[in-house]
Amino acid sequence: MRKIPWSKVIIYSLLLFLALSVLIPLLNLLAMSLSDPKRVNELSGLGILPKGFSLINYKILLSHPLILRSIGNSLLITIVGTLLNLVLTTMTAYVLAKTQFIGKKVVIIFLIVIMVVDPSMITEYLLIKDLGLLDTYTSLILYRAISVYYLFILMRFFNEVPDGIIEAARIDGAGHFKIFTKIMLPLSKPAIATFTLFYGVYHWNEYFRATIYLTDPNKWPLQVVLRQFVIRQDNTTLLSGLSSESYDVLASLDFPSLQAGTIIISIIPLLFLYPLILKHFAKGALEGGVKD
Amino acid sequence: MKRMRTLSKIREDWVLYCMLIPGITYFVVFHVIPIIGMKLAFQDYRIIGDNVWVGLKHFKLLMDSSAFFDVLQNTIIISSMKIIFIFPIPIILSLLINEVRSGPFRKYVQAVAYLPHFLSWVVIAGVWISFLHPLDGGINVIRDFFNLPSIDFMTSKEHIRWVLVFSEMWRSAGWDSILYIAAIMKISPSLYEAARMDGASTYQQMKYITLPSLASTVVTIFILNLGFFMNAGFDQVFNLSNDSVNSVIDILDTYVYRIGILNGQYAYATAASLFKGLVGIVLILGTHYISKKYTGNGVW
Repeated sequence: MRKIPWSKVIIYSLLLFLALSVLIPLLNLLAMSLSDPKRVNELSGLGILPKGFSLINYKILLSHPLILRSIGNSLLITIVGTLLNLVLTTMTAYVLAKTQFIGKKVVIIFLIVIMVVDPSMITEYLLIKDLGLLDTYTSLILYRAISVYYLFILMRFFNEVPDGIIEAARIDGAGHFKIFTKIMLPLSKPAIATFTLFYGVYHWNEYFRATIYLTDPNKWPLQVVLRQFVIRQDNTTLLSGLSSESYDVLASLDFPSLQAGTIIISIIPLLFLYPLILKHFAKGALEGGVKD
Repeated sequence: MKRMRTLSKIREDWVLYCMLIPGITYFVVFHVIPIIGMKLAFQDYRIIGDNVWVGLKHFKLLMDSSAFFDVLQNTIIISSMKIIFIFPIPIILSLLINEVRSGPFRKYVQAVAYLPHFLSWVVIAGVWISFLHPLDGGINVIRDFFNLPSIDFMTSKEHIRWVLVFSEMWRSAGWDSILYIAAIMKISPSLYEAARMDGASTYQQMKYITLPSLASTVVTIFILNLGFFMNAGFDQVFNLSNDSVNSVIDILDTYVYRIGILNGQYAYATAASLFKGLVGIVLILGTHYISKKYTGNGVW
């Protein structure tokens, strides 16, 4: 039998330990949310299998009007926001990466300055207020409509498209807009998929601007509702949405399990996208040197 | 003649300028205006009418405020703890992962390690609050197994900064290791072959080939991290803080949020923001030039 060196044993067990320390807290919440509310107190803090099995937590959460509406709000902000991100970022990246025009250098320096100097959350808030955008979805859709980091990385991707193809199209009489939509976009599908995921995850997870820009709970995205339930432990809001449930159901509820369920609901879309994210973005990050 | 050519070139490229307009407009409205708006730090805010210039009034108030020095101190302590205890972890992780031949084990470990990066701080705080729960949280189950008393980490002033350090590590160590893994993959395999032929052990290869090749990446990332030194992790503190521990983890950004957004002292809060921003720029430029002088490596 081949001898396995000690160093390998140590390295593999260390990595296994690290992987488990990421997974167990998450699986524990999943197990908690799927447990039978009557038996959930048997579940250990390290347990990853539900005690009994019940979907009651999800049934309750997904019939809660505030949560349902917030999922809709999150989807709206994420989809419209990401589309806007993609249009603005790809169009700007094309002009800056693939063309020569007077003033290009000035624009690039301007963007570098933008990247280094961040405005204060106070003046950003006052701007949104002055524009009359408080309590509108638009304030969140427009927030970070282009990330300068992603713009620069996308420019690097665009630069790899061979100039010959563009030259050929130009000789055939194609203008810039046609070259952009008919050549650049189709040729950079993998890069665009990557940035769709990047931006999408960003919008889905955004909660802070939503907290300060939106005072109307009916407009809150899921992350803000999640924060209200889980971080601020606001059980009253959670309960008040359940007025249609019978007293017996309410009495049997376990709040930590409901909170765990809300966390899981907010992660589910990410888990569906995660294999795609890994395929595209870990690769993109390796090549482009992405630092969030 | 030259001007004529410039003008005709601009006219010829009008489509390009049109394509730039939306992006540039966005940056001007949502970045430049709020940056210029930071002149508010030198003014008094008026709801009706123009703001009044007051010079350094708010900065003087800041310097006289003990609350400001408390949050400044917390910011420096928390950021230093993070740099000391978190910065080396992705490097070590990349070295460990590099020792694993590509295959399912490596793939799954990487997939799991990157996952927390994609979770929001609200989710991460929820996960950690549950895992650190004094009664049945995972950590206290382990402590109980070793007959140690249970600790309520979330309300303990002694422990809460460590909760910040470890939760940040949990979130970012895996993802940040990508940059180092990429740098390691660029090292020529012939170096390792030659070393193995000379009888170098795994450890010696790591020490004499991998680590020196990572030096410039390490320096660049270190300097970039220092640029964020004054941030100390707003989202994290915002979601993990509570009344019992707020005094030891209240940082500059949470202070700005509280006095600015919650209390409406816009000008004073902007002054604190501006102070923070300037220190950040000084730190990043300072370390860049020092590093450039002594090691030859910098950010640019």
